[in-house]
Amino acid sequence: MAGRLIKSQRSEQTGGQTAARAAATACDKLYRELSRWVGPDGCHALFTRALAQARTDHPALEQIQLHARSDPYIDGVAEAIMAHGDPATADGLEALLVHLIELLGRLIGDDMATKLIERSVVAFERDDPTSDRREEA
Amino acid sequence: MSGNGERAAIRSLPSGVPGLDTVLGGGLPEYSFNLIAGGPGSGKTTLAHQIMFANAKVERPALYFTVLGEPTLKMLRYQRQFTYFDPALAGSAIQFINLSAEVMEQNLTEVLQRIVSEIESAKPGIIVVDSFRTITAQPRSSDKGAAFDLDQFVQRLALHLTTWEVTSFLLGEYVAEEQRSPVFTVADGILWLTQATDRNSVVRKVQVVKSRGRAPMPGLHTFRITDDGLQIFPRIPEQTRKRALQRRERLSTGVPGLDEMIGGGVITGDAVMLTGPAGSGKSTVATQFVVAGLANGETGVIAVFEEYPEEYLARANNRNPEVGKMISSGKLELIYLRPLDLSVDEALSAILEAVERLGAKRVVIDSLSGFEVALAPTFREDFRESLYRLVGTLTATGVTVFMTAEVSEGFREARFTSEKVSFITDEIIVQRYIELEGELRRVMAVIKMRGSDHSHEFRLYEVTAKGVVIGDPLTDYDGIITGVPTLRAKPAKAKRGK
Repeated sequence: MAGRLIKSQRSEQTGGQTAARAAATACDKLYRELSRWVGPDGCHALFTRALAQARTDHPALEQIQLHARSDPYIDGVAEAIMAHGDPATADGLEALLVHLIELLGRLIGDDMATKLIERSVVAFERDDPTSDRREEA
Repeated sequence: MSGNGERAAIRSLPSGVPGLDTVLGGGLPEYSFNLIAGGPGSGKTTLAHQIMFANAKVERPALYFTVLGEPTLKMLRYQRQFTYFDPALAGSAIQFINLSAEVMEQNLTEVLQRIVSEIESAKPGIIVVDSFRTITAQPRSSDKGAAFDLDQFVQRLALHLTTWEVTSFLLGEYVAEEQRSPVFTVADGILWLTQATDRNSVVRKVQVVKSRGRAPMPGLHTFRITDDGLQIFPRIPEQTRKRALQRRERLSTGVPGLDEMIGGGVITGDAVMLTGPAGSGKSTVATQFVVAGLANGETGVIAVFEEYPEEYLARANNRNPEVGKMISSGKLELIYLRPLDLSVDEALSAILEAVERLGAKRVVIDSLSGFEVALAPTFREDFRESLYRLVGTLTATGVTVFMTAEVSEGFREARFTSEKVSFITDEIIVQRYIELEGELRRVMAVIKMRGSDHSHEFRLYEVTAKGVVIGDPLTDYDGIITGVPTLRAKPAKAKRGK
């Protein structure tokens, strides 16, 4: 699911974003989508916990900072890439998303968490001008 | 335009809450603007969710706006524990939207715009704002003339919601003194939930304070929150149910000899009370009464208040193995009610549901003493009035009710019935212990039989392995009522002349 979120941000139209940049964009968009449901503060609490968990296995996330109610939400990506490289930063951000989805699943049930994330993916695809949905429309 | 004076029909939506549609006078008026008020923990959020899950459809979804207060994640975590919560509907037919950002901006105009914009986008059939109180209670530094704006906000919100054909529910923690708030004036319907602690019991009640265009049931109605959500027990006045037209037939009690004592059997639709001290066999007689009906192809309900149903059933099965089989086959239902915070309406609801489900003709309440103890203290104060209503409602459906009541008695003190409840019964049968020829024996007598002649004798009886069996009348004794009868002196025989 986390991989699908990131993949949706690596289309041609996104200017050939690096893996880490695409993951950061996915985090930003997911923050905004989930905030609709659980509020910016509730969403920030989820991301903060997920980041803390992901950091234990991914030192590249040490530079990453989260800023509630601001755009972009996720900060420090350039510094992380510079210090640890793009693949390590991308892996770390993907781990953050995995922890976030798991945490959401533990709180409200995997079925509802999956549904929420899927809705977010659909919203991403709707926003993405190159997505199949848009082409079909 | 019809132009012929036809009234616009207001469709009713099912609330999804057992008992609430009855209290509301038929359901929730479609497109109405409602307030659900009550203190913390009174069940407002649960009630709103039940209504949403009962009505939301993908093509006309429900929007649940959360504001400040209970975090959405926690609300979802707890709400999904209820059986009505269908995760498949969440996200499609039911959408949760957080308004905290707009509310924290302290601008009611932005809040209204966001709500309207979400409604325009989703075209919902139902919306809920939880908690509306937190919207209106926020200091509005950026709005001029705060009081005026609040009035306008509520007015404009109500207009938008109605013109978008939305049935809406605003939830808020209000107290009675706040009923001058503009939302109370604008609301079409107001449901007020309360929970009060009475000694160690908690009693929850709901009142329809306002319902435009409807005739809701007046007064306070008790409710309980279980895994299934709220269940409301409408306070049904006895008079609203017409006494079923029935032939006044005699029913066998199933106790050999007792039918003869009461003039041929219990009269259908009557309320019979059997009183006696502990161990005198009241439950046995009551069970025999139901079993006699089962033998005739009738169905029955036994409401147990003193014993666990397993124990009751085991004892009943020992005397008559048919009892268990009848329960398995759906001919007999054993209802166990012993929560210690029961309301009479809850008991009545459970019994009536079982009666209607089975088409039962005979109902046993065993015992009134246990029933009184199971009630929350506040309802014990109205026990007489409540019991009057319960018995009246049950007998009005045509069922014959057999109740037991324990009477504590001193050995030499005769106390025939509980003076608190005897007035509600048509027939009263008493049991008591006596000392006879150095042995403890049991006697039974009929002391009241409305509209029928009955035996005036004291008759010995035995509680056997098969049930109660009536024996001989104690015609040769005086002072039976004292508990220590004496053999009446026989008239001296006339001496024959030498």
